[in-house]
Amino acid sequence: MSKRFLNGSEWAAMILAGAERLSRNAERVNALNVFPVPDGDTGTNMNLTMTAGVAELTNKPSDEVGRAAEVLSKGLLMGARGNSGVILSQLFRGFSRALSGERELDVPLFANGLQQGVDTAYKAVAKPVEGTILTVAREAARHGVLISRRTTDLAEWMQEVHAKALETLARTQEMLPVLKQVGVVDSGGQGLVYLYEGFVDFLQGGADTADLVRQQPAAPAAAPVPAQGAAAKAQSKLATESIAFPYDMEFFIQRISSAAPFPERTFRQALERDGDSVILIQDDDIIKVHVHSRRPGDVMNLALTYGEITHIHILNMQEQHRELLQPESQPIAAAPEALRPMDQADGLGLEAATGIPHVEYGTEGVTASPESEPNPDVYEMASYGVVAVSVGDGNAELFRSLGVDIVISGGQSMNPSTEDLLGAVSSLSTHHVFLLPNNPNIIMAAKQAAELADKQVTVIPTKTIPQGLAAMLAFQENDSEAANVERMNKALERVVTGQVTQAVRDTTMDGLQIKEGHFIGIQDKTIVVSAPTQAEACRELLTNLLASGGDMVTVLTGEDADAQETEELEAWLEQQFPDVEVEVHEGGQPLYPYLFAVEA
Amino acid sequence: MASIALVTDSTADISQEVRDKLGISMVPLKVSFGEETFLDNITLQPAQFYQKLTAFTAGLPKTSTPSPADFYEVFKKLTDEGRSVISVHLSSSLSGTYQAALIAQSMLEGEGDVTVIDSKSASYGYGNQVVAAAEMAQTGASKEEIIDEIHRLRGEMQLYFMVDTLEYLQKGGRIGKASAVLGSLLNIKPILSIDDDGSIFPVEKVRGTKRAMARITEMVATHFQGAPVDVTVAVTPGYTSGVAEMAEMLKNQLNIKRYLEAEIGPVVGTHAGPGTIGLFVTPAR
Repeated sequence: MSKRFLNGSEWAAMILAGAERLSRNAERVNALNVFPVPDGDTGTNMNLTMTAGVAELTNKPSDEVGRAAEVLSKGLLMGARGNSGVILSQLFRGFSRALSGERELDVPLFANGLQQGVDTAYKAVAKPVEGTILTVAREAARHGVLISRRTTDLAEWMQEVHAKALETLARTQEMLPVLKQVGVVDSGGQGLVYLYEGFVDFLQGGADTADLVRQQPAAPAAAPVPAQGAAAKAQSKLATESIAFPYDMEFFIQRISSAAPFPERTFRQALERDGDSVILIQDDDIIKVHVHSRRPGDVMNLALTYGEITHIHILNMQEQHRELLQPESQPIAAAPEALRPMDQADGLGLEAATGIPHVEYGTEGVTASPESEPNPDVYEMASYGVVAVSVGDGNAELFRSLGVDIVISGGQSMNPSTEDLLGAVSSLSTHHVFLLPNNPNIIMAAKQAAELADKQVTVIPTKTIPQGLAAMLAFQENDSEAANVERMNKALERVVTGQVTQAVRDTTMDGLQIKEGHFIGIQDKTIVVSAPTQAEACRELLTNLLASGGDMVTVLTGEDADAQETEELEAWLEQQFPDVEVEVHEGGQPLYPYLFAVEA
Repeated sequence: MASIALVTDSTADISQEVRDKLGISMVPLKVSFGEETFLDNITLQPAQFYQKLTAFTAGLPKTSTPSPADFYEVFKKLTDEGRSVISVHLSSSLSGTYQAALIAQSMLEGEGDVTVIDSKSASYGYGNQVVAAAEMAQTGASKEEIIDEIHRLRGEMQLYFMVDTLEYLQKGGRIGKASAVLGSLLNIKPILSIDDDGSIFPVEKVRGTKRAMARITEMVATHFQGAPVDVTVAVTPGYTSGVAEMAEMLKNQLNIKRYLEAEIGPVVGTHAGPGTIGLFVTPAR
């Protein structure tokens, strides 16, 4: 198949082929995890990011390639999670700018798109590191531009771009010492190569995509474009089974005013036990609830015990994805978009971005909503809102006790998307929101959310939960933004973070021999301790952390921590460092039995 | 007897001994535990108060301002003796006491010279203004000189206080809702101050009493840069652990001319809570 031009639908089909290839290999990308801790989520993040983009693209098809690229770019921006996901979204953001207004894509335009994508991504990254997805993208784009005068055949050109990407990927080991140490190539770069591989296959009319098209039952004559079938199939493979909590629920609980105080914490915990993306906003007698759940009936029954339920939206996200497969059928959820009252649009702003229509049930009985009748106290006093990402019930509770309005569940190996962050930011009534990512891999998504938000958002680049707590402690509601930024950033410098976890493979890192199953102690970013037992690792790490001073140690115990071991550790600390104040809290984080914060 | 008389209220937390020595008249606020009502710093002394506060289970005690008539009586007596009165009171942002004194002044209907001043401060944070003014009056300073000195002291004072919990300030409505870190799970000691309008504002949140004290000391030391200062530390009797350590820190880091420890009385204590420590530092006189 020799092709010189792609229209919007064909281009979309190519993207889907790439996304599908990436999806199938997501676990392999995860496995390239260079850190001997269980945070291998690059593949998952890139896959989820791509899935969000593809969902948007499938939902809003266009024959114009410029328009299609714009739609994909928007979906990727909203769905971006993890650093590789954010970089991916930036690559396509630049790409879509290059294609703006174009009906068809040819080789020179494709090359230009890749190049602009690289330029955009480099600008978005504060400190670009060579030997990563950025390098792979750059070398491939440069080569693509170079050879764009030699050929007009898209398949031939893409094949060369892919080859260059693959060659560069192999060299990432030489560029990034950490990769060489462990003996792998960069995971983000590998993800990009898979994406390009899918493009090549599609352009060559490869088996994979052809199969997908053929498998599509009764090749939908009614479908808008032939490629749509392939697109939707890939989409379903990518997304449907990845939705663990398929029912997206939103409703209000109208409290009976004489009732006892609303037990927000208990309710939240109950929702989080079998759901995610929990957002609770209480305003006088109305509580706005948002949750993704597996059992909407259970959630409703529980909510009923606290008051009258009004304003109910329930959306089956899995069904939604299946419907995308079958544009010719008219399932129940297709129509209600029109029935949906204008003033009820996108309560939390979460759905607006996905383009997924709402199913709306009766809205009678709504007497007031937090937006229309704000609690005057809230408006008068709270000039800032605060959103923090954290993991573990105990840690979330600590953040709330320090004044964080919304705690988004997420962290190592489960990065929230830009959209998740944006949703939380939008749901607050304040015009200015501080955002604490509390993880190095969420900082970029947070910055992206800040850019996309329609209100002022200040990202404090906190890399750990202890840093986030320190920043929150420094936060002063009554002070200016500039003063708070300075204060909070200073607070980060005063805290040293220690993390204890179990190594998931044998390796040599930072000059330490690490054995699978051993416990490692990480000081900020560096592994400083490896010991056969958890207790030893804790003690050695704390000794390291306190070597350069510090008079306050906070211990956050993880879900795998042992109560007796914690007590022994506390006693040991008091004996070894009598002048140091020690506080122990149940953090409840997975994977890390102990987090330490040492403050001077 | 000096021709100028100083009047204040009980929230200046000036001890009976000092008031007697300097001839300062004091009008008490009131504090009630249920049906039982006490005159602040007169029928209820700080040490007893904190014991009662801990034992009292029916919420917090209530405090009330003196009536204008209480002030009128004092003003009338002093002006009838032919003396000029300077009456200095608890910040009008925190209490209606200043307002009551103003009304009392107007009740004199021009008979007698009374100047009512809003200290824009609390506890010994204005107690020191009153004491300095009374000392000046004894040495024959003019009314204008004394009033200038009161304003100067307020302007140059560094005032910080640290509460054990913001709960008391919050429940008494003396601090904005959004500023309070309530029910915090971390051991946080909020450092607060009082601004030029006389309102309380949070300065910083620090973890642990010792570290909060060190931080307050550091801020004051940075401000005064070794210049000679007068220091007052106000404490709540029965909850003074660590105060000796703080005194030591202050002595090491400040050039102290005069050092005084004062007790935070029942009314201020009702709103600040046990375990509050106030630090008031002015350039040495």
